[in-house]
Amino acid sequence: MELILGCHWKNIEEARQKAETTLEQLSKIIEGMPSADTSVIVHGSLARYECTQGSDLDWTFLVDGEANAGVQETFIEIKKALSKESIFKELGLKPPGEEGTFGALAFSQPIILFIGGEEDSNSNTTRRVLLLLEALPIGERRVAFDRVRKNILKRYIDEDRRLLQKRQNVESRRWVPLFLLNDFARYWRTMAVDFAYKQFDRGNDGYALRNIKLGLSRKLLFASGLLACFWCDPIISKNENQEPSKQSLINCLDTFLSLTPLERIALFFTTHLNISESKLLRETAKELFCSYDEFLGLLNDSDKRNRLKKLRQDEEESARSSRRRGRREKSFARPFRICF
Amino acid sequence: MAFIGFSTGALMLGNFQEALRLLEGTSMTAVELSALRLPELPILVGALPKLDLGKFNYISFHAPSRFSAGEEDGVIELLRQVPEGWPIVVHPDTIHEADKWAEFGNQLAIENMDRRKHEGRSADELCHWFEQLPNARLCLDLAHAHQCDRTMTEAFRILSNFGDRVCQLHISELDSTGHHFPLSYGSIQAFMEIASLIPADAPAILESLNPLQEEEDEQQQDWIEREANRACAALGRCEVRREMPISPMQVPLSPASVLA
Repeated sequence: MELILGCHWKNIEEARQKAETTLEQLSKIIEGMPSADTSVIVHGSLARYECTQGSDLDWTFLVDGEANAGVQETFIEIKKALSKESIFKELGLKPPGEEGTFGALAFSQPIILFIGGEEDSNSNTTRRVLLLLEALPIGERRVAFDRVRKNILKRYIDEDRRLLQKRQNVESRRWVPLFLLNDFARYWRTMAVDFAYKQFDRGNDGYALRNIKLGLSRKLLFASGLLACFWCDPIISKNENQEPSKQSLINCLDTFLSLTPLERIALFFTTHLNISESKLLRETAKELFCSYDEFLGLLNDSDKRNRLKKLRQDEEESARSSRRRGRREKSFARPFRICF
Repeated sequence: MAFIGFSTGALMLGNFQEALRLLEGTSMTAVELSALRLPELPILVGALPKLDLGKFNYISFHAPSRFSAGEEDGVIELLRQVPEGWPIVVHPDTIHEADKWAEFGNQLAIENMDRRKHEGRSADELCHWFEQLPNARLCLDLAHAHQCDRTMTEAFRILSNFGDRVCQLHISELDSTGHHFPLSYGSIQAFMEIASLIPADAPAILESLNPLQEEEDEQQQDWIEREANRACAALGRCEVRREMPISPMQVPLSPASVLA
């Protein structure tokens, strides 16, 4: 992307390098702990390869195997290893968030089986969607993660009525998985509503930082998920060999979602720019990536980050009209509107 | 018309003579002579010239599933006695020196592995083996592929990459510990999802463990026919009929009628 646009995004590159080093260290810390049929998975900025100062260590111990009470012992050992003060100091990370969704043990069956309905709690939806959009197994045991992810995708593809079917009297077929798209949209709404909930629950504490993250990294996550759904359509992905079969779509989604959110967006731009030069696409890509690079630069600056964290809502709003943050968020939102 | 049959090891573990005798009274047109355990190999190879296999249109040979590097040369020497037209099915994790197996050319059929193994389970892992043995073909084990990935996406990937190498299929159900069982509704449904990608003429060898090994011949043969029909339903192929040879009169079955 940098080559095509003639840009260099220093903050994106630094964040990636920091993430690579951190992930390697974390893999060493849990070496030999996870058993077969389990995976330790990180989420958040680590999974996105966007590690900055004060990134959270959000992790899940995923179990996908036969009933075995022994997993609890393994989970406790892993939790001890990943909760040591020294990790947070040496790697510059923060403990998992307060909500309890992360730093926890999760079984595959509810994640796969409960989509919608009473049993699909906020935690369950979050775990499921993040397993698709923002998750990375650490260490050697990744089979459970791969398996669960494909099973989740299969649910959405299997139960999407009329997906891939040709419509009456029309040659075209629907490639975009709407069941999946709807759940991504539902998760985005959940994030937005949770933002308001956290404001209610925590008052001003961290408001401005959460706000900017909602407008940038969370929005990027949602947009990349939407793009994943549209990428199933060969017209969008420019893949003439895309087969109209369920496994082909699962394969397509699994491969696309294995990229980081930024890489997914970059793939869209590079694919289309390679086919036909478009000034609009070029400028849109530049705007999007430059805004995000600036955002990561801000997060990585501990002074600015701390100031943002302490900023009260009334202070944040009164400064907004003349502040770069507002411009940055607009610069980020506009490219997505153009893309979609 | 695709051939269907059984692995002798699945019908009667360690007793290929008895397995062949049982198959005589069935409509099976294919057989895999199985020497899964190393001590069985010289016995089976020694018996080959005397076996009456005229009933079968398709015959393959399964090499031992475990032997040491020191035993590899001995295994290869014995396998040279397998007739050239019979594919030799081999587990990639048993191969110590790939160069030594190159002489078998396209007679060699590499089988995709189950979760207990550390290689040969996925399209990416199989790629490594076909790079080393470019003329080898593929024995597509649907149960192994299903056990590794219940969504059958990995089976799809294997077929997308190596579908033109498929020389035979293995069909059964596998539990999480790697034991073979007769087909269930779930596995039939799963195999049906990718059946259209499987070469229509690939012979199917069932590895469903015979649950009636102590029972009367007729009971066992009935089970063999039923299990073969379940496999046909899973593959979207015509049913086999016991009383008559395969003919154009056969009709494809719906899973519901087979499972009724």
